[in-house]
Amino acid sequence: MTSISPLNNVHDLGSFGNFEGKNSNEIITIKELKNFKIFQVVKYKTSKTNIKEYKIFDLNFPDDLKVSGNNDTRILWIGPNNWFLFSSSEKLSEETRKNLPNNEFAITDLSHSKAIIELSGKNLKEVLKKGCPINFNELNKNQSINSIFNGIAITLDFVNDQPATVRVMSLRSFGESLYHSVTDASLEFGYKAI
Amino acid sequence: MLYIKCPYCGYRSQNEFAYGGDATIKRPELNKEVTDKEWDNFVYLRKSPRGKHLELWHHVSGCRQWIKVLRDTNTHEIFNTYKSEDKVET
Repeated sequence: MTSISPLNNVHDLGSFGNFEGKNSNEIITIKELKNFKIFQVVKYKTSKTNIKEYKIFDLNFPDDLKVSGNNDTRILWIGPNNWFLFSSSEKLSEETRKNLPNNEFAITDLSHSKAIIELSGKNLKEVLKKGCPINFNELNKNQSINSIFNGIAITLDFVNDQPATVRVMSLRSFGESLYHSVTDASLEFGYKAI
Repeated sequence: MLYIKCPYCGYRSQNEFAYGGDATIKRPELNKEVTDKEWDNFVYLRKSPRGKHLELWHHVSGCRQWIKVLRDTNTHEIFNTYKSEDKVET
């Protein structure tokens, strides 16, 4: 069976908008991330366990609004006692089963239910400001927030500062609308879809 | 635009929240005999105060937690916000 990516119909490669005469650092780069494993981990209300005792691929579960990560895997705080595990490793399922007891945590596989866009470029925050009511000047590397972009519920993961890189996640069914909103906001600066 | 301080996420735009009604309403105790009148009051009867009002809000596009907001219905000033389990004197 072939899996079709959520943005397969809209993610056309090439350069668009006001990109002419600009070097690659000045325009926005837009990439669809696919074939990632995404698990939601929720600690049960009745659980007395301390989350600091648990690790996934040697990564701690982060505090409020933070992210812990390495090259393959990122753990995002998305609410009290609630995290996203986000990994390119095929062993994530095995690792969570091994390290997180099922009487303390509810684990849900959301791998096929998210559309993910990775944006980078120095005008990235200006693009996001057009649709999202967050003060982006206060956000830095390894922070995550849930918010809205033109009315679509999104999760933002600030992967890097230099170059500024952010992953924007929405529900799969909102993916195409989100992609149109983000690319529309990027036209002013010019963008390259890769 | 109103800004509401979520106890978990900090100041966020009102667009991320959904209003959830009066936070002072108490459900009748479980396993206790309840008259039709008491049940009717619990389900339907609401005050509509002009001034300070303790409200429930849901951070639906954020951390997805229910919170309590002490708000002036006349001026929209928000005095304080609380976690849903916090006891608040009004």
